[in-house]
Amino acid sequence: MHIVFALVVVAAFGLFAWNAWRLILELRMGRLDDSRWSDVGARLGNLLSIGIFQKKIFRDSVAGPMHAAIFWGFCVLTAGTIEFLVAGVFPSFSFAKVLPGVLYRFYTINQDVWGALVLLAVSFALFRRITKRVKRLMGAETHPNDPLLILSWIGALMITMFGDQAMAMVANPEPGIGLLRPISAVIAALSSVVVSPSAALTLERLFWVSHGLLVLSFLNYLPYSKHLHVVVSLPNVYLSNTSGPGQVGVMSAMDLEGDLEVFGAKDVEQLSWKSLLDGFACTECGRCTSVCPANITGKPLSPRKIMVNVRERLEEKSAAAGIGLIGRSAGGTAVTTAGATTARALLDTYITEDELWACTSCRACVTECPVSIDQLSVINELRRNLVLGESRFPEEILPAFESMEQKGSPWAFDPADRAKWADGMDIPTMAELHGRGEKPDVLYWVGCMGSFDDRAKKTTVAFAKIMKAAGVRFAILAQEEKCHGDPARRMGNEYLYQMLAKDAVGVLNTYAVTKVVTACPHCFHQMGNEFPQWGGHFDVIHHSTFIEELLAAGKVPLRADLHEPVSKFTYHDSCYLGRYNEVYDAPREALKRALPVMELVEMPRSRDRGMCCGAGGGRMFMEEHVAEGGKRINAERAEEALATGATTIAVACPFCMTMLADSVKARDADVTVLDIAEVVAGRLAV
Amino acid sequence: MKIAVCIKRVPDQDVRFKIAAGGKAVDEAGLKFDMSDFDGYAAEVAIQLTEKAGAGEVTVVSVGPDAVQETLRKALSMGAHRAVQLKHDTPVHDGYAIASALAAELKEGAYDLILTGRMAVDTQNRSVGAQLAELLDRPYIGAITKLDVEGGMVKARRELEGAFELVECTLPAVLSIDEGIARARYPSLKGIMAAKKKPMDVRPAQLGAQRYTLESLELPPERTGGRIIGEGPDAVPELVRLLKEEAKIL
Repeated sequence: MHIVFALVVVAAFGLFAWNAWRLILELRMGRLDDSRWSDVGARLGNLLSIGIFQKKIFRDSVAGPMHAAIFWGFCVLTAGTIEFLVAGVFPSFSFAKVLPGVLYRFYTINQDVWGALVLLAVSFALFRRITKRVKRLMGAETHPNDPLLILSWIGALMITMFGDQAMAMVANPEPGIGLLRPISAVIAALSSVVVSPSAALTLERLFWVSHGLLVLSFLNYLPYSKHLHVVVSLPNVYLSNTSGPGQVGVMSAMDLEGDLEVFGAKDVEQLSWKSLLDGFACTECGRCTSVCPANITGKPLSPRKIMVNVRERLEEKSAAAGIGLIGRSAGGTAVTTAGATTARALLDTYITEDELWACTSCRACVTECPVSIDQLSVINELRRNLVLGESRFPEEILPAFESMEQKGSPWAFDPADRAKWADGMDIPTMAELHGRGEKPDVLYWVGCMGSFDDRAKKTTVAFAKIMKAAGVRFAILAQEEKCHGDPARRMGNEYLYQMLAKDAVGVLNTYAVTKVVTACPHCFHQMGNEFPQWGGHFDVIHHSTFIEELLAAGKVPLRADLHEPVSKFTYHDSCYLGRYNEVYDAPREALKRALPVMELVEMPRSRDRGMCCGAGGGRMFMEEHVAEGGKRINAERAEEALATGATTIAVACPFCMTMLADSVKARDADVTVLDIAEVVAGRLAV
Repeated sequence: MKIAVCIKRVPDQDVRFKIAAGGKAVDEAGLKFDMSDFDGYAAEVAIQLTEKAGAGEVTVVSVGPDAVQETLRKALSMGAHRAVQLKHDTPVHDGYAIASALAAELKEGAYDLILTGRMAVDTQNRSVGAQLAELLDRPYIGAITKLDVEGGMVKARRELEGAFELVECTLPAVLSIDEGIARARYPSLKGIMAAKKKPMDVRPAQLGAQRYTLESLELPPERTGGRIIGEGPDAVPELVRLLKEEAKIL
């Protein structure tokens, strides 16, 4: 009997190991030049907080505790499974023989308690899935029967575990055993009324065998299921590309000089192995899709679908290449003829252009994912292929590309007008200071919107006034400032981006610039986090932080009168300031310091849950096609802001300003949209 | 099918120009140059014709200094197959001289179709296409907005005020291309890389006799800001006086 069991265990683990090796081969189909060995400390920190302590899982207050109970229960019960398997082969084995009494009792009690918690949690999960139509759990791309099967499987594992323990107690009552496994003991006491000790012995064997078979088959079902996530999640969290400091949301630098066959990614082979691992780690929970501004407003994009598609396509391709999971290579669910797989690709066959262009690059999906999947990097790589490889993109962005190249700004303004906002303000240019042998404290990088857009220019002037009032010695580049190409990069045009970014870095380095302040979060992110790729190492500060520091140091002369009526403000987080750079408090503090009588009300979606205005990722330059029943992203956000009852919506980004101001105006609401700088400048005592 | 497309390098038009010293040329400092828009449509039409046929060759030709190679290279990155620079280092304004240089190049080479833009967006002379056709003794259709080439015949549509005109001629022919027929594609990086390896011939431009010279360039007067002289009927006499005496239009 034990020999048979031993053979079954070896066979089951052998099968699992074989498939695990197959999965590694599948991952190796991807690009391997994406090293994840650095930043061990930060990665371990993520593993602990996001993985072990389930930090992101708890962002959902209902599913959070439920999942945590199952996860922690699994960790605890794995010890019991090891004891179970070893004892199956060597019947005399028990942890009681290797652990001191107190520890052993701690172990057994935990087995019982967590077993019960897991059973409760999976019952609730099943109940929730079957009776409540939780929106984020639904979607055409999901496999709705898989979770029902898996949850039942886990439930059965718990029931057979308790059955085995309880029947053993009925068959062979030992004094004091109830203290070791209190819940099993209660079940034993209740069932001993109807079950005789001899029948219990048979039942115990039955539960034991079923439990063993369930454990081993569960293990081997995982590679075929979305619940592969059980195995892959923790490694995925450790390896996530959000580990290194300053690495959040940074796009990879393409080597455009190299002899590339394919630009960006058209299929799974051109994606990083880590993106493929992301596909394995996805368990289709839908948290990403539920926070996606495009998805919420009825656009065709679902970040979850992107990941499901990556895995599906990888399974199809690996099966055709003969390295798929056992049973898949022989046909299985995948298309296996070579012709069919070459005509098919991740791009177009699985993921359409419209999905890709709907993305605002707001990082809500990446931030929300409990296992640190990076949906955005897949979208970015596919966009690169569309633009660089095939010149396929919405025609509205052609003028933006051409204008960036010709005029150094995505809008076709005359470059000669770049510093027109500064007429009469007596602001020196870098060239002038350089000519006098002087250096400013800080370079004010105005940005294209701040230079040319009529509304944004008011913010530019307001911020310049604050700096002047505070005695900051600053300069601008005037006509020497040109777009750094970030919009081009976000829209997949890495070629144009690199041209512009290298030029901009060159200009800044010519003047030996060290410190830069900008009112645009996109410039802030690009110059601070992505310029190092081109040898541009600058201390870049967003104007909200800069203003807050000036205010905190008492350097900004503000009016003393506080007899103004209390006004109600709400603050809209910009994605590139918030989720990309974790600047949440500075703009809020700046508002409070400038307006002590103000009441700041938060929108339901704020800080790292903040909802995008709809302009990021190059969406600013594209038509927003609103489907039946859908709406504009800025409408969704403006409605949320207006619902707070605030009379002023404060923003810290010229793109957000345009989107929200447009939508507020369209609603005829008597609400003003102001930049942080305008609020503070309005209180200047000059 | 062999197609030649004549393209011109022009300064970006959406800026305020300055006149260079001497008063006969635009100050090129800070200007960005690109292919003239209509020439871009012509190149696109030619590339689409060969793509559709799965055969053929598109040659792009430009008259000018070495800087035009950048513009020719852009046409190659869009998908043209080879380029010819007819080198001439000083600006030429006479359409007949340019047409003569192009004709000298294009009379050989058995081109079925020669395309030009409707006009160069900087000088707007609209003269090269027709003169080129005349010099080559080929049929010419100007400013077309739709084109079909089938069985040695060209069927073209021209847009007139409130009407379409359908015109046919035989190949070989010279056509000038209007807007609306096709958008010039944005070169993919793949195309840009491929363009680096495509042939670019440089030959001296055999300009014909120049029949006119540019005498001077002038900027239109700066627009002065509006002035509010008053409100209602009281302001009318003053307005009339100013229109008579200052603006001198009454």
